[in-house]
Amino acid sequence: MDTGTAYGLRQGAPLYELAQVGPGTPYGEVLRRYWQPIAKVEDATTRPISVRVLGEELILFRTRKGAPGLLHPRCIHRGASLFFGGVEDDGIRCCYHGWVFDTEGHCLEQPCEPELGLHRDRVRQPWYPVEEQYGLIWTYMGPPDRKPALPRYDTFEDLADDELLIANDEGVGGGGPALLDFNWLQHWENVMDPFHVPILHARFSGNQFTPEMALIPEVSYEYTPAGVRSIQMRELGDGRQLRRVTEVMFPNLRVVASPKLASGQTNMIGWVVPMDDTSFRIFTIARDSDRDFLAKLRSTHEGRPWKDLDDLDHQRLPGDYEAQKSQGDISLHSEDHLTTTDQGVAMVRRMMAKQARLVASGGDPAGVVFDEADALVRIEGGNYFEGAPEAPLLAEAVED
Amino acid sequence: MAAYQPRAPRGDRPLAVLGISDVIVIEAEPAVPVTMHRVSAWGRWVREVAIPDGTGAAIARLSQRYEIVWASEWGHNAHTAFADALGLPAEPWAFLPVQFDKARRIRGYAGDLPWLWIDGDVVDLHRPEAADTGLIVRVDPARGLVGVDLDAVDEAMAKLAR
Repeated sequence: MDTGTAYGLRQGAPLYELAQVGPGTPYGEVLRRYWQPIAKVEDATTRPISVRVLGEELILFRTRKGAPGLLHPRCIHRGASLFFGGVEDDGIRCCYHGWVFDTEGHCLEQPCEPELGLHRDRVRQPWYPVEEQYGLIWTYMGPPDRKPALPRYDTFEDLADDELLIANDEGVGGGGPALLDFNWLQHWENVMDPFHVPILHARFSGNQFTPEMALIPEVSYEYTPAGVRSIQMRELGDGRQLRRVTEVMFPNLRVVASPKLASGQTNMIGWVVPMDDTSFRIFTIARDSDRDFLAKLRSTHEGRPWKDLDDLDHQRLPGDYEAQKSQGDISLHSEDHLTTTDQGVAMVRRMMAKQARLVASGGDPAGVVFDEADALVRIEGGNYFEGAPEAPLLAEAVED
Repeated sequence: MAAYQPRAPRGDRPLAVLGISDVIVIEAEPAVPVTMHRVSAWGRWVREVAIPDGTGAAIARLSQRYEIVWASEWGHNAHTAFADALGLPAEPWAFLPVQFDKARRIRGYAGDLPWLWIDGDVVDLHRPEAADTGLIVRVDPARGLVGVDLDAVDEAMAKLAR
């Protein structure tokens, strides 16, 4: 008799506690305890835009005096959206009855009311604090009394004269479109899965990476105070070893050095920011002397960018996007068969569960600091050649 | 059949189902003496882990009375990775490859057998369901298995069997 057929198959379920991001969800509350990038600084203008972050719709704008603001869209007066508002010197004016709110939600004016609103100081438009740093706009969406210092990263400090910071929201590392249309965790935990590289990115995608990256590495994993780290050793056969250090840092940073394999500390890191449970963006910052560094880093498939592939190409040359999107809008994690090479993924999920438990019990999650003096984060990720550092790489290549 | 089907229990004794993290491996600041061990899974990867001294003896004691079953995200690596560090027998014990909310899988695996499940509480994304045919023991993550009063466990399991 045949066994193991699909007849009567019962589907599993996602680990919602880790995958969901909305207010009040276990990991959504973890994400809210950190500053999150939400836009590039140039996206905040006197024309309000809608941004979706962690399942919340918000309105981003910049006053005519230059201050960015992030407000709940529904006007507290009678609910018209501030998306249609008009930006003024100190705030945004609702299109319906003209109430004006500053970037912290204070009501500055109620023009139809006596004396511009006798009680306007008794109401507040819901808002979130924002900061500008490294070319991105950051917001903190958590409990106000637990607002941490906005982290800085050593890899972005002390630029040389010919270097600049590049901010990108086009999905660098995602292997697909700028707005990635599936659950963010499928991408984030992939960072701790070095074993997919020689299969997906070499055997299937066709030399997306350098030949060095096609070698199956020996990996060591470790928890760090801020996340999980993998150290991948590759014997290059010419007396050199490549020590590639990759990290996830909580709650959603990906520290993945360029597979172009420039030696040393990574010059870029990315934030996997959920828009909601089934879509996310990757905000990436890089330091380089070439303004187009990140654009040039995007993967190609037989020389063509992802957006130029047709259906047959996607099937024939799948990359990260095809693999992760095909896991489902939200993967059915309970069906996973985690095995030897999934150790890193298991460690990420375990540390996520710990943070969710910690936050739920009133604690502070991994890596948050409240003192500006402690806000500089050391990044360990990178490519480190050991043995014969002068030996040339086997090839130059680009990847996502 | 799509999911992994573990080897069936022998059926001649109760089950002692063990997690790894917080039970065998201490991730918190340890409150007991520990020794660092370098564990490997067939050379694919290595981890440096802290194992409380006496853990191997505690498992050996459990194995006298119970059939040991691993239930963890370590999957089939649980036995092989820790065999040297814990002095485990060469023949691997059965394993349930499950990371979170393990009670249903354990109950289903045990069937009519009495069972004991020792683990850290991080694995409970939800509160574990009531254990009618089994005993759930949550470890102190700073002490692991060596912090568990195994005499009290034996007593509780004896009551369960009655």
